[in-house]
Amino acid sequence: MNLKSLLGLNCDEAATACSKAQYKETSLREKLKLRLHLFFCKPCKEYSKKNQKLSLLIKKAKIQTCSEVEKEAYRQRMNNAGSHASKR
Amino acid sequence: MAENSIDPEKWVDRYADYLFNYTIVRVNDREVANDIVSETFLAGLNSMKNFKGEATERTWLISILKRKIIDHYRRINSNKGQAEVKMNFPDSENEGEWLEEKVLDPSHRNAEDQMENQELGLAILKCMEQLNEKQARIFKMKTIEGLDTETICNELNISPSNLWVIIHRARTTLAQCLEKNWF
Ligand SMILES: [Zn+2]
Repeated sequence: MNLKSLLGLNCDEAATACSKAQYKETSLREKLKLRLHLFFCKPCKEYSKKNQKLSLLIKKAKIQTCSEVEKEAYRQRMNNAGSHASKR
Repeated sequence: MAENSIDPEKWVDRYADYLFNYTIVRVNDREVANDIVSETFLAGLNSMKNFKGEATERTWLISILKRKIIDHYRRINSNKGQAEVKMNFPDSENEGEWLEEKVLDPSHRNAEDQMENQELGLAILKCMEQLNEKQARIFKMKTIEGLDTETICNELNISPSNLWVIIHRARTTLAQCLEKNWF
């Protein structure tokens, strides 16, 4: 572990950097440190593979969600219905 | 205590994305999808006494949603005056089944691929229910809505390193949840 930390990142930091890398937002410096860490650390390498797979699945799924505004409209309609019901 | 309880206050936070995603793939129109989802929540409120706790809240809401989607297609069909629907399926029960097949199974108009993607999307959304509110919100903004890190940090008043730790935890949970069926 110490050797790896000396190389620049401990496993926690490497794992977080790995998630950041999924969004292509790691700096060059971070990227190099991560690559070095993954070269020496098998568990992190495994984790990195899973993380990439997750990115792939998310991309493939083309998920469509509703916005906060739309959710607020749902809540509004539910509240209105609720208050009408209780008046009766 | 019943195994599955019901808590309408949480419905929108917990299930809106799932129900919306399920619907939009089938109706292809955002406004229509919003209507159907909110009608589903209303119908749920009105028939809460029918909730027996045998199914989970989500399963129960989806069964309501499916009926709403079928109703929607019935309406469209009758507006267009498509008599052949009735001619071919004089029995109302059969008509229902026919519609159900067409509407609930997206494969009739698209490739099998798309159906798998739809199933995958629902699996991911279901797994997202395991995240806490903050994780789910930030993960969604960053990953599904594709917002800038800076925008999210400003809106939620968190630091970038904070954001990445949260994203990382969310991804770890999701990967674990999806691993069994999809990896
Ligand atoms: Zn490591």
